[in-house]
Amino acid sequence: MERLLQYREASPIIPYNLNDSLILFPIRHHSPVCSYHLIRTIENYKPDIILIEGPENANHLISVITDEQTKLPVAFYYYYKDTKKYISENGGDYKCYYPFQYSSPEYNALMQAKKYGITTKFIDLPYSETLINTAENEGLRKDIDKHSYTDDSRFTKSRFYQKICEKTGLRDFDEFWEKYFEIGGLYISTEKFVHQMNTYCTLTRTDCTDDELRADGTMSREKYMACNIMKVMQEHKKVLAVTGGFHTFGIYNLIQQGDIKSPKIHKISKTDEGCYPMAYSYRAVDALRGYVSGMMYPHFYDSIMKELYIRNSPHEIYNDNIFNLITLTAKESTKRDIQVTISDMTSAYTMMNGLSALRDSMECGISEAFDAVTACFIKGEKTVSSSIPLDILANLATGDGIGQINNTEHIPPLIADFEKQCKSLRLKYQLSAPTTVEASLFTSVRGMELSRFMHRMQFLETDFARLMKGSDIKNNRDRSRVREEWQYRRSPEVDASLIDHTTDGFTIEEACGTFAEKLLKKYQRCETAGGVAVDCFLMGIELKSAEQELIDNIISSDGDFFSIGKGLGYFQTLCELQSLYDFEDKSTMKYLCKCFERLLSMLPAMANVPPENADNVINIMKIMYGIIVSVLDYRMNDFEAELLTIVSSAEKEPAVYGGAMGLLCAISPDYKQSAEDGARGYLTGSTEIQKKGADYLRGLFSTARDIVLVDNSFLEMADKLITDMGFDDFLEILPSLRLAFSNFTPSEIQLVSESVAELHGISENDLMKKSAVDENLFDFGEELDRIICGIIGKEELIYE
Amino acid sequence: MEKNYIKPPVEVRYADELEILKQNDKGKKPENWVLSPKAVRTFILGGKVGEHIISRKFYGNDALVERCIITLAGNRGLMLVGEPGTAKTMLSELLSAACCGVSTNTVQGTAGTTEDMIKYSWNYALLLAKGYSRDALVPSPLLVGMEQGIFTRFEEITRTPAEIQDSLISVMSDQILNIPELEKDGLIFAKSGFNIIGTANTRDKGVNEMSGALKRRFNFETVEPVKDVRLEKEIIIKEAQNLAKSNHIDMPVDVDTAELLAVTYHELREGRDSEGTVIDKPNAVMSTAEAVSVYYHALSHAWYYGDGRIDLNVLTETLLGAVCKENKDDLEKLKSYFRTSVKKKSEKVGGLWKDYFNTEKHLR
Repeated sequence: MERLLQYREASPIIPYNLNDSLILFPIRHHSPVCSYHLIRTIENYKPDIILIEGPENANHLISVITDEQTKLPVAFYYYYKDTKKYISENGGDYKCYYPFQYSSPEYNALMQAKKYGITTKFIDLPYSETLINTAENEGLRKDIDKHSYTDDSRFTKSRFYQKICEKTGLRDFDEFWEKYFEIGGLYISTEKFVHQMNTYCTLTRTDCTDDELRADGTMSREKYMACNIMKVMQEHKKVLAVTGGFHTFGIYNLIQQGDIKSPKIHKISKTDEGCYPMAYSYRAVDALRGYVSGMMYPHFYDSIMKELYIRNSPHEIYNDNIFNLITLTAKESTKRDIQVTISDMTSAYTMMNGLSALRDSMECGISEAFDAVTACFIKGEKTVSSSIPLDILANLATGDGIGQINNTEHIPPLIADFEKQCKSLRLKYQLSAPTTVEASLFTSVRGMELSRFMHRMQFLETDFARLMKGSDIKNNRDRSRVREEWQYRRSPEVDASLIDHTTDGFTIEEACGTFAEKLLKKYQRCETAGGVAVDCFLMGIELKSAEQELIDNIISSDGDFFSIGKGLGYFQTLCELQSLYDFEDKSTMKYLCKCFERLLSMLPAMANVPPENADNVINIMKIMYGIIVSVLDYRMNDFEAELLTIVSSAEKEPAVYGGAMGLLCAISPDYKQSAEDGARGYLTGSTEIQKKGADYLRGLFSTARDIVLVDNSFLEMADKLITDMGFDDFLEILPSLRLAFSNFTPSEIQLVSESVAELHGISENDLMKKSAVDENLFDFGEELDRIICGIIGKEELIYE
Repeated sequence: MEKNYIKPPVEVRYADELEILKQNDKGKKPENWVLSPKAVRTFILGGKVGEHIISRKFYGNDALVERCIITLAGNRGLMLVGEPGTAKTMLSELLSAACCGVSTNTVQGTAGTTEDMIKYSWNYALLLAKGYSRDALVPSPLLVGMEQGIFTRFEEITRTPAEIQDSLISVMSDQILNIPELEKDGLIFAKSGFNIIGTANTRDKGVNEMSGALKRRFNFETVEPVKDVRLEKEIIIKEAQNLAKSNHIDMPVDVDTAELLAVTYHELREGRDSEGTVIDKPNAVMSTAEAVSVYYHALSHAWYYGDGRIDLNVLTETLLGAVCKENKDDLEKLKSYFRTSVKKKSEKVGGLWKDYFNTEKHLR
């Protein structure tokens, strides 16, 4: 309570006086109303310098943001490689984004400064220092995929606002913020707005203890910013500092104290830390919002901001834009065959205005838009499928626009390497339309290089290249193809994903190597290890000794039979293709042997796998047999012994049993009798056992289909199985039987059908020939058909 | 007067609150409404008027209530849809009582509802005596609503055959009802304030799909079950107290048992318990109204046959009857819920949950 009183007293005394030498302007990131009042403050205060909350190592990029050719949204990408282990013993790579859109107060401050010739500076700790001063799993060190510098989770999670929502009947923070700040704030003076912001933000701080503020780096950052402000105040008479509202109180208090010790700045190599501008998208800005950064629906608030630039008064801006949004939603819904009538539109208009009046809101906000669409566009029960208009509205409000940067002075190293390689490979990388290119793998050096480059871009998940035609080595398909056809297209997303890989390396090749290593470390599965090895092979990237060791360890530690089996398949493919691709890697054989040994020891345990895994086991056994025949013939006896263990198990899955029996027949024809006995055992059993016979045959035929072609014994058994079985039971085993015979080639099927026909005492010709239809009967049928069509046509029952 | 009713209408039950709101209402009112939209909201969602506290009567989605009020102030009907037991009827009664002062002008939809019941019919004795005349006319609730400028509530509209439902289309479009038998006096124009509130179940068997033309004349609101278990507990307690009071059962409501029942209903409805374990959802409707009914049954059993304390054995037996109505699989699902979630809670929390778990033997 004392803490609350302290803040309550403090909030009104953060001065906002245009005659003072310093104005601390509190903002919420991406908020149009903050931009609106900030612009007015700059116009009226005419500061000598504007200081903005943002890592100071991005000062050199200010001109990129304010460039007339730059189209928002764009973002600053910060990265830091902790090679000196300032953050943790494990080192690690870190990255975060600082997005700007038209409604961002920071952007508007920069633009106004440009307009009036005012100096601007970012004043926050460099990204690396913020990380160093943040505890593990706090602030920018939380374990999430994408970090935003403009994280305002403190703002949106305070218990203070929850109390306000309960009291005012508002649903969530966004509704509260929009009603009282975004819309309400446009109708009050700048002084009052700043006061209101300071009050809310300082009360929000009551939720945080000093320990929490220290842990997430807030205290260090505020100290650094306060020091910077004080330093600047010695040189300039009028200073405007634009910071997140949450920090304003902290910075103000520090400046009042006067004597502050700035946090220590470490010496960090230029290659370990950097910042680049990148084109961004509204979707990406909104996605960051998922980690509570900035506001929802970025495109909608940008359109509000654009209107605020144009109109002299904020009056009706929200009402007009909300109705415009609802109209667009109706239009888009109609395109998707969701009927929205004029009457629905009228009703929606009444609804949005009625609700804003009922809720005492100055104008309609985004919540009224959602309510109007819910009530007037959704016909029937609200379900996932009937709520499409709400999805459309959300998409329109979020926007799908992409920013653009024309400034070429600050090209990130990966983009530079990408362009360099595109040039050397003569790719039309500047075109945004899809282009097709062909790579001949074995006839020219360029062909192989091109293929490897495209595979690298694909591996980095950039969406630049797509393989249209060519061999699919990973899935073991079309391996004989010697040409690849690629379709490629440069887009802002390609640049964004390349920039995202900056921490992985400064060249595409280096980034791919690091990314591969990360994948290996992350998944720790033999299947992934094999897949990554194939990818590296296709990209022409040699695995480093550390990665080789990693794969070795993964194979040793993975306990999943199927994962190792998949890995074995990959390594087998690599061994087969190495010489063809002129890419020798001796470690592949080592992995192959290791996988094989592990599988061999696990094989007997696979005798009684669940039916859905049976085919996988059979495939793995086939791969193992293939490897023995080609390179590991000395392990034949051991393999045979393990197969015998499977067939002699008391409990065994019929298909696996059949598969093992088939492989034993391949090893030695002596086992044929045992295979026949096995089949007979099933076929002479009860109906339930007979049904399992079909699975046994499926397994047997998949590993030893020639067993059928040698003599008729198996066909006779299959024939007996089918002919003795009732119709319903037959239908039950039909899928398995079909699968069993799908292992045969068309010519083998022909041979099988001839043999079956022979068993039933008929010849192929008998089957192919049918008795001729009587000519008169045929004519009668044709006439009947014509008459029926005539009647149907007359009754308009069919349409031509 | 209230004492004699099993369930007094809303306008009688909350007459005091309505009067307070009326006297303090300074807001703009749509024509013929008793209260302004803001006062209607306060009546339903609760609040403070001067020194007086207005109780909250509908729990759940406040924005839905606001949308309902604005819809009714416009020219479209309001259709409340949702699973059984989600308080659709109660909301429509509250809205009618607050906006028009009358919640009883109702058509009850059934498979046997005819067009006469919706529009008008005749008193045949008077018809024979006086011929077609206003005296002989028996007005339906729809006609009463049109003539008096009040709401007509149409309960369970989708139980009515589709062609009968469609007789509302012309009335809702033109706001006119034509009675050809009355010739030049036969045109009845709807007075300002008239509107229709429909309710429809989305889950029960025997419902008829509404035509597109009729759907276009309504704004739909889907009333969902209460998502917050704390709120569900409050509803059970409050409603059980009201039922006990109206039936002269002078027994305090056991809050812990109400919470236990609220948790059971909530977890079975959501198909997941508080620890995240997936539970098989029963096919039966697991509504809050059902939970109230189960609780009240156990309460009255304790009052009439027991020692004044709710017996968990009776509660479980009643729960069994409520859950296992139509589908025999539901019994297995309920058993499985007891053997997993209730058992875990009995081990972790003990106390009442342990006693509750011991009643599992009744599930057969």
